[in-house]
Amino acid sequence: MKSWKFVLSALIAAGFAFGAVGAQAKNKELKIGVIGALSGGGTAWGQGLLHGVTIAADELNAKGGLKVGDTVYDLKIVAYDDQYNAAQAKSAAERLVNEEKVKFLFGPVGSPGALSAVPVTQPAHVIEFVDGYAPKILDNQWKDNSFVFRTGLSSQEFADPMVAWVKKNLSDVKKIGVIAPNDAVGQQAITSLVNRYKSQGFDVWTDFYERGTKEFTPVLLRMVAQNVDLFDLNANAPGEAALLIKQAREVGYSGKIIQAGGAGVNEIVQAIGPAANGFLKYDIVDFDDPRLQPFVKKYKAKYSGIINGLAPQYYNTARILFEAISKAGTLDTTKVRDAIENLQGWDAPIYGPLKWTGKKTYGVAHQILIPFYIDKVKDGKGVVIDTITPAGD
Amino acid sequence: MFSPVILGQVLINGISLSAIYILVSLGFTLLFGIMRVVNFAHGSLAMLGGYALFFLYTQYHVPYAIAVPLAALVVATLSLVLERMVYRWFYQKMFQSMIGLIGLDMALYSTAAIIWGPNERSIPSPVSGIYHLGPLFLSSSKLVIIFTAAATLLAFFAFTHLTRQGLAMRAAAQDVETAELQGIHTDRIYILAFFIAIFMAALAGGLYAQNYTLSPFMGERPLMMAFVAVILGGMGSIPGVALGGIILGMTESFVGTYFGSTTSTFVTFGAVILILIVRPWGLLGTPEAS
Amino acid sequence: MAVVEEFAPPAPTAADPASALRMKAVLGALLALCFLVLPLLRPGEFILSLATTLLITAIATTSLHLIVRLGSVSLAHGAFMGLGSYAAVLSAMKLGLPFPLALIVSFLVPAALGLAVGPVLLRLSGKYFVLVTFLMGEIIRLIFVSWQSLTGGSNGIFGIPYPYKAFASHTVFYYFTFVLAALCIGLVARVLQSEIGRTMDAIREDSRLAQCSGIPVLRTKVAIFTLSCGLVGISGALFAYFVRYIDPTSFSITQSLNFVVMNVVGGMYQLAGPIVGTVFFVILPEFLRGYVDFQRIIFGICLVVVMAALPGGIVGLIARLRLLSNKVMGENP
Repeated sequence: MKSWKFVLSALIAAGFAFGAVGAQAKNKELKIGVIGALSGGGTAWGQGLLHGVTIAADELNAKGGLKVGDTVYDLKIVAYDDQYNAAQAKSAAERLVNEEKVKFLFGPVGSPGALSAVPVTQPAHVIEFVDGYAPKILDNQWKDNSFVFRTGLSSQEFADPMVAWVKKNLSDVKKIGVIAPNDAVGQQAITSLVNRYKSQGFDVWTDFYERGTKEFTPVLLRMVAQNVDLFDLNANAPGEAALLIKQAREVGYSGKIIQAGGAGVNEIVQAIGPAANGFLKYDIVDFDDPRLQPFVKKYKAKYSGIINGLAPQYYNTARILFEAISKAGTLDTTKVRDAIENLQGWDAPIYGPLKWTGKKTYGVAHQILIPFYIDKVKDGKGVVIDTITPAGD
Repeated sequence: MFSPVILGQVLINGISLSAIYILVSLGFTLLFGIMRVVNFAHGSLAMLGGYALFFLYTQYHVPYAIAVPLAALVVATLSLVLERMVYRWFYQKMFQSMIGLIGLDMALYSTAAIIWGPNERSIPSPVSGIYHLGPLFLSSSKLVIIFTAAATLLAFFAFTHLTRQGLAMRAAAQDVETAELQGIHTDRIYILAFFIAIFMAALAGGLYAQNYTLSPFMGERPLMMAFVAVILGGMGSIPGVALGGIILGMTESFVGTYFGSTTSTFVTFGAVILILIVRPWGLLGTPEAS
Repeated sequence: MAVVEEFAPPAPTAADPASALRMKAVLGALLALCFLVLPLLRPGEFILSLATTLLITAIATTSLHLIVRLGSVSLAHGAFMGLGSYAAVLSAMKLGLPFPLALIVSFLVPAALGLAVGPVLLRLSGKYFVLVTFLMGEIIRLIFVSWQSLTGGSNGIFGIPYPYKAFASHTVFYYFTFVLAALCIGLVARVLQSEIGRTMDAIREDSRLAQCSGIPVLRTKVAIFTLSCGLVGISGALFAYFVRYIDPTSFSITQSLNFVVMNVVGGMYQLAGPIVGTVFFVILPEFLRGYVDFQRIIFGICLVVVMAALPGGIVGLIARLRLLSNKVMGENP
């Protein structure tokens, strides 16, 4: 078994040698870990996360590196694919924390991955930025000395304001239909969403489908028979959401359609074009926001394809981390964690003044508070019609 | 819930679903019927058909009516390489074919993921719009599928009952040795059957991808559909595919609309398991001497 | 119907010549020794974790090997593993059963299901049995997903506690897993070497002939199937306590296929097969981490090659090479 250690260390040494020769860097290297779905179903999110962090790191490296006290570091991203799977995420986290000795980790995205990575990073005091709606990501046994931050809104934050918006702006809606996949996101988000709708006086009907289904006409017809006037696509992935919209019209549904959660109006519009007109969508980014344009330019210069909403979000997060490290003047994660908490009010590049919330809801104020947007599809394009900032606690 | 409008729509949905089942299952059952091969790579070959249609139609701007069969032709022709390298080892060996072709399936969709990326794409439809039959709705793209399914079913039937090659195939399907004694070149028949089967799979894949979405992993669902339809109807039987497809399509539509998605899935699986236990050769299949 | 009849070299029977048996025992003991000694070399958390995963997977693949030696294959073993996981976790967390009892439950629940459906399903000829297990696995997974009040649905069960405080140490858990793995694999080896093993071979070669010789074919099949399901349940329990979070995606057809790949590629005819297959399958991805698609291509090609031309898998290949080198050397094999 000793040969194991040898082979592994040889590989790592070779990797470093290559890195050193190739980069000819004079600075020391700081490894930043990334875990996300880079293959299989959740790839859009995983790649969004990776691209956002990479752009931030490249930016800083181009300026000479990250200054920590008297030392300057070049940032190096080490990315692992978790295939949106809990066991893989755990294994990736263990590898990053124990082998690569990473102290700062972005991802996993999605509750299964996040929930299995957190027990690995927290005891090791590794700072982690995750996404995923499960409350246990923050509200867990390590919350009194927590090193995990959530830098996107979860359904706990946006569901109430979202429902309030619906009540105010779509006042003639009485009955809401919700069709969701019965995966982790679907089952988690739908229960709380349904309760919120009901508490605001709406009548709600729900049904779930197996992931992988593409033909929704039977269940859509079932919904039509319920005389639903608003169809909420919450928790559906963009591909399925697009199909649901198209097939709903094909089966005779004539009411309004909204997606009160999830990200990415552009993917949907690209998939079904004019059939999406009138569609209302929750979104986490406003691509017309002037604050976003420098990022969009940098993204388009490096990558092709639709920009997933997680890219600007994680760019923002990475910038927060780098700022905190600079302010702390050290790589000691406890001090950096404190610096992140104290960064409250700092003008973050994408979302503006940083606000942490969540002390009451989760027991630790590590939940970011950012605005979200309501898009409407007009003439085949998603246009922001409203901005909402949830109340903190 | 039981209003005539809803019932009518259930019927229309059912016909569309049945057409998709039939289209997707024809290639699968042919390979089993003639060569006793359980083509677990069926879904991935359909997926290749989807990508072929995508490139022909959107990148090379081939007119739609030509692109659809041409895409299938391209995939079937290129797959002849696979026939030589992989499938030939598994003719008449059901068990080995199952496991081996699972391997081929893995290799195919993983290669596709590397070459074309794992993201979903959509193939635009030349026909859009929804037809109104009174109070009922039928989308034009579903109509295309219904026509194609019906046409291919008829073509299949005509081929296997009226042409010499088709009769030779049926003879080989029944008894290879006797067929050879009668002077039928079984290797040539196998290649022909393989070609037709993959053509069917790719054709179905193209239309499936266009109706839903295109991705390297899209083949999983068509494989499952073909699987259950063919087990139900009888492995190797073309009328069986039609019957299996119709039963499944109608059941899904009816049960899905009146009882919900999950119930529909359980009912379908339950029925197929029951058939496998009680009458494993399917409703219209022939029991093998085993 | 015998499954591997098409291949000319018949599978070696369980009653091996004594010398080959001794050789295998020695190799097995050496391997066990390596695993025993590993933690003392202070290899680090990650490698210890990897080794633990290897041992847990090995229990599962050797349990499937029992079915493979019967001449068939089950595509539902991932789901049965899940049954063991959920059974152990639920009995510990909801019923408050102590850990040893939870372990026993993890064996009993999948075994009970195997016993219940076995008599019906094992009557089917090999190919139909495989198809039925494929569907069964899916149904079981669907139940995991749909029965939210019991299983937590797609969100699974989070925060599975350590069985005992001591198990928080990776080394302690590793040794415990090692002991269980040794017991389970040892049991499988014992069964294959015994009278039952010879019966299994007879059934695999020609079940009708076996039936005529007075062998209770169905009863043997059911017994072996039940044992196999029970053992994979134990690996499920270990998995649950190791990852400390279970959800239905870990027990899908992908997992079942993984076990099949390990058996087939490692070698279907010898117990060493699944063990070699497990090592290959668990270690290789660590070198190709980040290149999941490449991994799958390699596994896919391996499956095709093995099924087409190398029925004995890696182990069979080694055996053949040894035979070849013996012939070349002019010695008697």
